[in-house]
Amino acid sequence: MAWKSCSHSGRVAVDPIVLDSTRLSIAFFSISGLEVLGALKDINDDNKKSMCNWIYGLQIHPTEDGDGSQCGFQGTDTFVTLENGVATNCNKMFANGHLAMTYTGLASLLILGDDLSRVNKTAVIKGVAALQQEDGSFAATLLGSENDMRFVYCACCICYILQDWSGMDMEKTLSYIRNSFSYDSGFGQGPDLESHGGVTYCAVASLVLMEKLTETLSKKEIEGLRRWAIMRQVSGFQGRANKQEDTCYSFWVGATLKMLDFYEIVNFEENRKYIMSTQCSIMGGFSKVRDVNPDPLHSYLGLCGLSFMGEEGLEQVHPALNISMRAADFLHKLHQSW
Amino acid sequence: MSETSSEGSDGDRWVFYKDRPDWKDVTPVKQEEGPFPVVSIAYNAKFKDVYDYMRAVLKSNEISERAFHLTKDALELNPANYTVWQYRRLLLKDLNKDLREEFQYVSQLIDEYPKNYQIWHHRMVMVEWMDDPSMELDFLKEALYNDPKNYHAWKHRQWVIKKFNLFENELEYTESLIGDDLRNNSAWNQRYFVVLHTGKLSEPDQIRKEISFALKAILKTTLNESAWNYMRGLLIHTEKGVLEAEVVEFCEKLYASGNKSPHLLGMLIDMAVEGDDPKLDERALQICRELANRYDHVRAKYWNYMETIVKEKIAATKVADQKATNANEAASDVKNN
Repeated sequence: MAWKSCSHSGRVAVDPIVLDSTRLSIAFFSISGLEVLGALKDINDDNKKSMCNWIYGLQIHPTEDGDGSQCGFQGTDTFVTLENGVATNCNKMFANGHLAMTYTGLASLLILGDDLSRVNKTAVIKGVAALQQEDGSFAATLLGSENDMRFVYCACCICYILQDWSGMDMEKTLSYIRNSFSYDSGFGQGPDLESHGGVTYCAVASLVLMEKLTETLSKKEIEGLRRWAIMRQVSGFQGRANKQEDTCYSFWVGATLKMLDFYEIVNFEENRKYIMSTQCSIMGGFSKVRDVNPDPLHSYLGLCGLSFMGEEGLEQVHPALNISMRAADFLHKLHQSW
Repeated sequence: MSETSSEGSDGDRWVFYKDRPDWKDVTPVKQEEGPFPVVSIAYNAKFKDVYDYMRAVLKSNEISERAFHLTKDALELNPANYTVWQYRRLLLKDLNKDLREEFQYVSQLIDEYPKNYQIWHHRMVMVEWMDDPSMELDFLKEALYNDPKNYHAWKHRQWVIKKFNLFENELEYTESLIGDDLRNNSAWNQRYFVVLHTGKLSEPDQIRKEISFALKAILKTTLNESAWNYMRGLLIHTEKGVLEAEVVEFCEKLYASGNKSPHLLGMLIDMAVEGDDPKLDERALQICRELANRYDHVRAKYWNYMETIVKEKIAATKVADQKATNANEAASDVKNN
């Protein structure tokens, strides 16, 4: 199966070197993709354990004085070297967690059946806290990074997964999300920015994970948001008004509609037809538009987009956490035991 | 390709760092990928060589010209490596580099990778460090000429305009972009950003002016969602919202001319739901059916849903009317007695 070659034995097919810094997210697309395909069981337990070990190897631990601001997971071992036989970051100052990597790392561990017992939860939450900005948004890493709705979402996922919101000023986060609600009833990356399908997903999923959706948006605003989202359907979905459709928005906008309890309104037939038209018949996987090379992100999100419509053979996907329902159930059981 | 060198993109022979006399004193540092690397990357020889030295430099915290050049090679191989960018910023400061040159460099990179987050972030930091936005608007105009919907460019543009209060000619700029492409939603969004931040949305005259701007654009292509959304955005700031007289008149006229744009029809449904004319309610029901069956088939289920919303409104109105009648009758009974 072409999909499998992505995760271990083979190599990533598209522009691999530019993905080097965010390898953990590519691992997530592969692992979660296999899970949605129901094929994770074909990987034996030893290999799953090895994958977990690799992910844990990317965890940044607190400094000796207990400062956790750099903590979380980094996306790659590009700057890891062997020192006296131990894998070590070559410069601790530059070893930092990255919110998207921490989120995809935790999500991957859950999917692989790990109980998160080796996650330094307190430190990860300190790392989240260090990245919240004055305006309520989050930056990705202390190493100088943009701050926007994507990392608000990642922070919410991390806090939800670890069941600890103490690292977030929730009022500030909510105000950032609220201020990014646009005149056309979608959400932008930040205040004043254009409404966008991926960003709207991040905003709505954050509100759902915080259990603040109906508190933050009025009934009328939610109706507006529902319309904005359903207007994105062309045959597949586009991310912005008057743009071309793209496979990934069948997930981003589809999941948004799921969370707004409005998914049944989607025209399944057209949506499915579009996603399937972007499938690569030679390598497998999906691309954003027809006749270009498939990549891990669009392949994974294409599958999730199909899963929402009950495609046979695919596992159900939790729309807010973007992991399988099985993994989400496993997480909720873990929560009960904490 | 020989083991020790290769052709660079500009035709120059590439010399591996391990073969460079001026790097002789540095021991390259190998990456440790562990026993079971997941999604491992097929690094080529050049990448391995450059990053072996990048790791060495990071490890020894080397602050030098040659380290600065090394970051450029490392970024050329992976412009998304935020760690290298951060090290480069450290070097820019510690070596007291000319930031104008850095601007040239980052401009070239944006031309090459217009959708890379790390490069745009670096540019933002450079503008902050120099506290000089003078090159930005022209540079962004160029970037948006190449891709008028580039989200990164628009984000940077809004940031620089807000930070340095550069609103002065922005309304005209959005007008020219909308003139180039009426369906450029990013340009419409930018226009909203400008009218909002320049106080125009608190002046009824200015709102009216903007509404006519939008209506003119709608008349040119009535299927253009961007112009409709902009107009609706303006209506949020008016007293009557979607029932604003000028807009009602415009929509009725367009409808009477036989126009069946789903955006127009959607507007008529919303006007009925907001208003209190039973005839318009009945018409809205009819429109919902037409949209579902004919004019916006892909969203048939949505318009069926809207039909139930209109029906609920009609039912609620009837209940309210009945209550009012009962109250009136009760009042007149009291009077008669």
